[in-house]
Amino acid sequence: MPASLTAAQRKALQAQNRAIMELFESRGFEHIRPRILQPADVFLEKSGEDIRSRTFLFTDPDGQQELCLRPDLTVPTCRYHLAVAEDPRREAKYCYRGPAFRFHGMNDPLHADEFEQVGLEWFGHGNAAAADAEVLALALEAVRLAGLVRPYVMTGDPGLLRALLDSIDMPQRWRRRLFMRFRRPEDFRATLHAMASPDDGGRTSASNLVDRLAEAAEAGTEEAVALVERELETRGLPLVGGRKVEDIAQRLLEKAQDRRTPPLSRETVALVEDFLAISGPMHTCAAELERIAERAGAPMERAVAAFTERLALLPEDGGMEFATGFGRSFDYYTGFVFQIEADARGRSVTVGGGGRYDDMLAGLGGPDVPACGFGLHTERLLMAAGGA
Amino acid sequence: MDRRLVIALPSKGRLMEKAQALFARAGYDISRIGHERGYRGAIDGMENAEVAFLSASEIAHHLREGKIDLGVTGEDLLRENIARLEETAQILTPLGFGHADVVVAVPESWLDCATMTDLEEISEEFHARHGRRLRVATKYLRLTRRFFARRGVTGYRTVVSLGATEGAPAAGMAELIVDITSTGSTLRANHLKVLDDGVILRSQAVLAGRTNILADPRVQDMQARLAAVLKTD
Repeated sequence: MPASLTAAQRKALQAQNRAIMELFESRGFEHIRPRILQPADVFLEKSGEDIRSRTFLFTDPDGQQELCLRPDLTVPTCRYHLAVAEDPRREAKYCYRGPAFRFHGMNDPLHADEFEQVGLEWFGHGNAAAADAEVLALALEAVRLAGLVRPYVMTGDPGLLRALLDSIDMPQRWRRRLFMRFRRPEDFRATLHAMASPDDGGRTSASNLVDRLAEAAEAGTEEAVALVERELETRGLPLVGGRKVEDIAQRLLEKAQDRRTPPLSRETVALVEDFLAISGPMHTCAAELERIAERAGAPMERAVAAFTERLALLPEDGGMEFATGFGRSFDYYTGFVFQIEADARGRSVTVGGGGRYDDMLAGLGGPDVPACGFGLHTERLLMAAGGA
Repeated sequence: MDRRLVIALPSKGRLMEKAQALFARAGYDISRIGHERGYRGAIDGMENAEVAFLSASEIAHHLREGKIDLGVTGEDLLRENIARLEETAQILTPLGFGHADVVVAVPESWLDCATMTDLEEISEEFHARHGRRLRVATKYLRLTRRFFARRGVTGYRTVVSLGATEGAPAAGMAELIVDITSTGSTLRANHLKVLDDGVILRSQAVLAGRTNILADPRVQDMQARLAAVLKTD
């Protein structure tokens, strides 16, 4: 099976995607055409090396700027919005259809290096729960319109873990350390258990310096900075690598403080592990989340209330699943996330996904604007719907 | 009649000398055809075979492309340049010379950074503070990505560096590097240190062969003779 479509398949794809775009436009989303060529930096800084390894990168013929073929249309849509909107804070609804590029290096139409994406993005909406629900409903409507009878929907919400950690008494740096390992369950668990254990997990080549800070009873930022400065001076080490003395001192100090911080209790570890074990049909999960919230306290109670509010607005659908550990491989999602899966040619494939990414526009130099949306991989959708 | 085999050897430096000496001890006399600096050679002791003298990195590329059947090169170059190494070529015999490690090295002034876990935390902090990713200068893109992914470090980007990688942090081109080192003295001279758990690969020179010729008796014979010589070392 070659990676490119036959003429008949191409025609079916065009018809499918036209119909989906008509649906989006009929709901008030403006059809835009963001650039295919994008500055590489934006993607690499937003997505990290994982996406970079799949992104087509090159330098312009003048050798001035590093460019890429867009791996996705969400970031180009955000950039378009910031470039053209008179006031980017005002509500805007965009939809798009066009090629996206991700290197897979396989001769497989389900993993082609170039594919057509359709999708929509919604900025500056009022009620987040309602917008999340409407976006998911539209995604499901679109895949049904294409003929997909039994989409399987997986949902998650990284914001819940953040709220749970905020509800637990621990240093902020521990919350950060745990949250950044959310997408890697084994590392997360190892970190959690290390925080519950009285010993500090072994010596490293930095331990001697940490000892010196830990021995001084009242060591604070000043002492740590002085220690680092003395050490650099004595050993004749130039400060390279973009970090300041204060950054280095702060981490040494935190390591010293970690030794004095009481470990997490067994109840706390159990609470987090019970939370992460939640997975199943959305309504069942909602009840379990409420029991977690009762054990955890205020921030988690608010987050679960928002979860329940959104659940009431979501399309009635038997096949919708939720898991607390579910996160998407793109690292910019901040709240509700979903992924639509289906069988294509006997394999389960992801035909689309999306969610909430409230930090993105600010991260691109714009104002703080709530944002959500989704994209569909239309060739996979066509094959999963039986059109090819 | 057996198919003609092409075996590639390093064309210069200590790798060339050591490879030729080892092959001679195993009973393979290798001579260059034409003038002394010619790029083709003959091999005594193996039937219907010829030698190509190439640079170590060309040998890895040519093995991938199938332009040669066997080659002596660094394990680092094979693992870096051949995407699915096991499907394309196999390492037949580690040759016991050309030892060097591919390592993650950070500025020595990062007194708080001893492990990949530290690096993971620093990369997150760096991004939050500066709005950009830590940059890793390297020519080993594939090895870096695989190792960093396995250690959970994702908040970084690579900067391709084809020479003098160890100077990149001081030059402000990158914050840290992944590079090959045998004694570590170049790293120390540039005020860089290897992380406690930052050895990606302990590399050495190896004999590698395309998977489709592994059953060839001439190849198996070569493997056995090299192994026998190495055992007496």
